Amino acid sequence: MDIDLLPETFVELADTLVAGFDIIEFLHVLTDRSVELLGASAAGLLLADPRGEMRVVAASSEQARLVELFQVQNDEGPCLDCFRSGLPVTSADLSAASGRWPHFAAAAGRAGFAAVQALPMRLRDETIGALNLFRDVPGPFDRADIRIGQALADVATIGLLNERSLRRSETLNEQLQSALNSRVIIEQAKGKLAERLGLDVDDAFNVLRGCARSRNRGLSELARAFIDGSEELPDLKPGKTPPAPQRGRPPGPPR
Amino acid sequence: MAGDRAASRAEIIWNLLASRVASRGAPASVADVCAVCVETLGMSGAAVTASGKSGPGHVMCVTDEVSEQIEELQLTFGEGPRVDASADGGPVLVPDLGAGDVAARWPAFGPAARLAGAAAVFALPLQIGAISVGVLGLYRRQPGPLSADQLGDALVFADTATVLMLDREDQAARDRGGGTGPGGGTGPGGQPWQLALRRAEIDQATGMLTEQLGVGIEEAFVRLRAYAYAQDRRLADVARDVVARTLRMEPDPNPRRDGVA
Repeated sequence: MDIDLLPETFVELADTLVAGFDIIEFLHVLTDRSVELLGASAAGLLLADPRGEMRVVAASSEQARLVELFQVQNDEGPCLDCFRSGLPVTSADLSAASGRWPHFAAAAGRAGFAAVQALPMRLRDETIGALNLFRDVPGPFDRADIRIGQALADVATIGLLNERSLRRSETLNEQLQSALNSRVIIEQAKGKLAERLGLDVDDAFNVLRGCARSRNRGLSELARAFIDGSEELPDLKPGKTPPAPQRGRPPGPPR
Repeated sequence: MAGDRAASRAEIIWNLLASRVASRGAPASVADVCAVCVETLGMSGAAVTASGKSGPGHVMCVTDEVSEQIEELQLTFGEGPRVDASADGGPVLVPDLGAGDVAARWPAFGPAARLAGAAAVFALPLQIGAISVGVLGLYRRQPGPLSADQLGDALVFADTATVLMLDREDQAARDRGGGTGPGGGTGPGGQPWQLALRRAEIDQATGMLTEQLGVGIEEAFVRLRAYAYAQDRRLADVARDVVARTLRMEPDPNPRRDGVA
């Protein structure tokens, strides 16, 4: 683990809470940092929609997103078990997990994942989602890494509740729905941008994310403004796209 | 199983709506959604307001006088759950209008709504991402929160009302679709109301169509659904083709309200 990155990550996540906070960007930063910090190859994050379905709201890579989506669509996998039990779920060797999750184990294997760790996102007695860590080699996750991973999942849960009281379950449900709708706004903006620039939708997401960062704007806010035409993205011409910010830091005052 | 539970809950609601619509012999409307919602969730009343981008909520339907008063109070005072749900893009759930923080939040609306007879109010935006067409407002004479299942149901009612509002706004697109729209009950591919499951591809395809068709996001979604109806295909399958760029849509030769964005 990169020990210097850990305090930086918590500062970064705390920063996000203050200026231009965007829950979807925040959860993406969280999955990205989970990968860098915890010896994982990929990470994905699912939230529970009160309508009854889990939704993939962030993933560090397209493969992780697809494997998470696979769990939801097949109603099987460690993230769902973790969500339902409210407890961490782990498999150090997915090639031996076909009895437990026949469909998921196969899909994860096809995506190149060999081990998985799912951590619950909990607020007291309520579980609202789960953070999934994937590794491309078999073997148990380090216990210290798991504890840090759980701390990151807890930070994510609190992030969902930012700016408002933690006391009322109404607030949690209100914020959760806003977050899920923000995810939909971003998907719509990805589509519009992909069509305009002739990109695939995943590249469009990176461009959108880079734009939000370079303009110091909330990702969902910029996505909405782009969709309703109140804000154009004039620096976005084909062949002149800003670099994808995969590992970048959000702009902010120097520390 | 979460997925099964969701499907059956939504299906139960759609079946309730479909049987109400069938018995009356008219196309489904937001009034049907309000009526079935009140019954299913044990509410005292419901209202649907349309959100014009330029003005306050236009009341589409109310189930009773108190609901009407609640909407009028919000128009008058410019504050309340519908106003906040519209502005914040998320539900506003107030299980007890008598609670201390309500007076601070809505100093005029809070007491007036209680006087009108409401003890709990819930407002759910009618939205799909950046698509925003109004708010479903509910109230109860007794205080108390929505259970997790009730909230899930309320969101399904809101989703259904969203689609009905879009269809209502775009009768022409429905005609282009060649069908009766979701008023017919079960849609192609056994997907009632064509909104069975949320899929990122549907949202992405909607965004792509705004560019292909030169229309706003609401119109793009209506056109996507109309195409699925006309082709008797599942919405998610059509959306996947759009995202994979094996299907393109051409701008309407006679553009109507949205024009070129």
